[in-house]
Amino acid sequence: MSSSICLRRLPQLSSESSIHSSIGSRNLLSSTQTSSFSTSTARFASPLMKKKTGQVAAPKRGAKTLNVKKGRGGSGRDTGRKPAIGERKALRKRIVLSNTNALEVPTLQDLTKDNVLDKAVEGKVMGIPGEVVDALRAVEAFKTSQGWSLFRRPAALMRKETVQIAELVKQVEAGEAKAKQTIRKVLVGDKMSGKSTLVLQGLMIALLRNWVVINLPDAKDIVLGHTEYAPLPGSTPTQYYQETYTATLLSQIAKANSEILSKIQVTSKPALPIPTPPKLNLLKLAELGAANPEASWPVFVALWKELTLPGRPPIMMAIDNLAHVMRNSEYLSADAKPVHAHDLTIVRHFVDHLSGTKTLPNGGIILAAETKSNSPACPALDYSIQLAEARQLGREVLPEWNPYKVVDMRVMECLRNMEVLRSNGLSKEEARAIMEYYAASGMLRAKVDAPFVSERWTLAGQGNIGELERASVRARI
Amino acid sequence: MVFIFGFNFPEQTLVKKSLQTFYGIGPQVCQRIMARFHIHKTAKVGGLKNAQVLDLNAELSQMKIENDLRREVQDNIRRLRDMGTYRGRRHAMALPVRGQRTRTQTATSRKLNKIERGGSGQIKL
Repeated sequence: MSSSICLRRLPQLSSESSIHSSIGSRNLLSSTQTSSFSTSTARFASPLMKKKTGQVAAPKRGAKTLNVKKGRGGSGRDTGRKPAIGERKALRKRIVLSNTNALEVPTLQDLTKDNVLDKAVEGKVMGIPGEVVDALRAVEAFKTSQGWSLFRRPAALMRKETVQIAELVKQVEAGEAKAKQTIRKVLVGDKMSGKSTLVLQGLMIALLRNWVVINLPDAKDIVLGHTEYAPLPGSTPTQYYQETYTATLLSQIAKANSEILSKIQVTSKPALPIPTPPKLNLLKLAELGAANPEASWPVFVALWKELTLPGRPPIMMAIDNLAHVMRNSEYLSADAKPVHAHDLTIVRHFVDHLSGTKTLPNGGIILAAETKSNSPACPALDYSIQLAEARQLGREVLPEWNPYKVVDMRVMECLRNMEVLRSNGLSKEEARAIMEYYAASGMLRAKVDAPFVSERWTLAGQGNIGELERASVRARI
Repeated sequence: MVFIFGFNFPEQTLVKKSLQTFYGIGPQVCQRIMARFHIHKTAKVGGLKNAQVLDLNAELSQMKIENDLRREVQDNIRRLRDMGTYRGRRHAMALPVRGQRTRTQTATSRKLNKIERGGSGQIKL
């Protein structure tokens, strides 16, 4: 388009028009007075314009005006319902284990007491039977970060590491009655590599094999300083017990193991600070402790004593988020010094078994999982893991402690002889099995063939299961 | 409602919050007192045991807080003024005491520096 005004005259024109703006201008540019290369006219003009709009006469009395000011009685007031106490937390912690939109997988088999220790289930996705799901839910083994809400019902891949845990269970059960083994394992691995799910699977196997299951779902809750605590009378150095937490733990134990515990009668006479009925089974005992928080710790001790008598079932104890109990807790002692997490009775109890100072007379497994997403720095734990791995791999050169880091001797002592189970990425066969399950559930709409599996396996950082789920089910790439 | 040091607190108040309403108890002192009686940091007043409330009351009555503390502070200032010291004069004139500038920014000293220094707390002067 050709311009009607000579472009060379443009600067002059605009300056002229600004000078003679009072004289009624007849040329075309006068109406806009802006040039594409100069913004100053428009910028300097705008405040004046704004002032003009501000000087509006006050509304007449009685006339309705729009008042958008925030404050009392104004239209800006939030009239919505405030969430009730605990409502938001309940929503945050809600565990959804079913998705009615997902398809039922007809080929999905359930795990049973017999097939769970079978080698044949390796690399297959197996359903978790209903009663075990209830028990796992009771011990809070399901986490909100896991993808249970994506599928019709809970099922899990029996990966290599799961089968290793099953082997350990077999090993404990095969032990002779007098010399039952206590196996201790710390689960380590990358972020989203399925450490918590492995703990869950460990608990699942134990529940299927009629073991007693005790789970500390999140170590952070123990040391966070949000529940009541009190010094344990007669303990040197002072230990602290948490009555509310212990009561919750007892109720979880009672719910998850109700069938086994109800069959076992209390044989010794525990000295409890509360009146007890004469004929007591272990389930009643645990429920008694859950109902009376002030007696929860003595009840836990009594329960443990009963469980470790000869002829009782093996025990599976698990903890998640291990690093939190390997440092000072948020609790304070009477002289306002931080209490080491190992001085809390529950943690002490667990750590004694993890370190091997105490063993389970009827055999059992102690599982501890570290976390990569919410864990405090714990150099002693990191070093112990490195050392244990190097030892397990039979390396000649062991890693050395960095002398510039502060050493927590209690942690070092406790983790001196620990054993590590690393949860690596899945193999391609395992990845294929789980992706076929995704596809059968209708959550992955693609043809699961070797190139596709290979692509997703690579995208997921060599088969990291969390990333695999993210790449194939959660994200539609 | 729970009585702590002669004052009523609703059950859902945090122990930490209720202790810090007293003149002379801030975050540090509060933490020390709570640690002494093994009260965790998110404890509510309603959740305290009777023994703990009694202990707390006994401890608070031993401490120099509220009016006793106010009196001490006022006495210290009065002593300075009676001696005719510079610090005493500056207090009396509501001017900065420790050599700060007075050309600008003396709002705090004008607010605080007086003989009858009150402060905030449960008991209002």
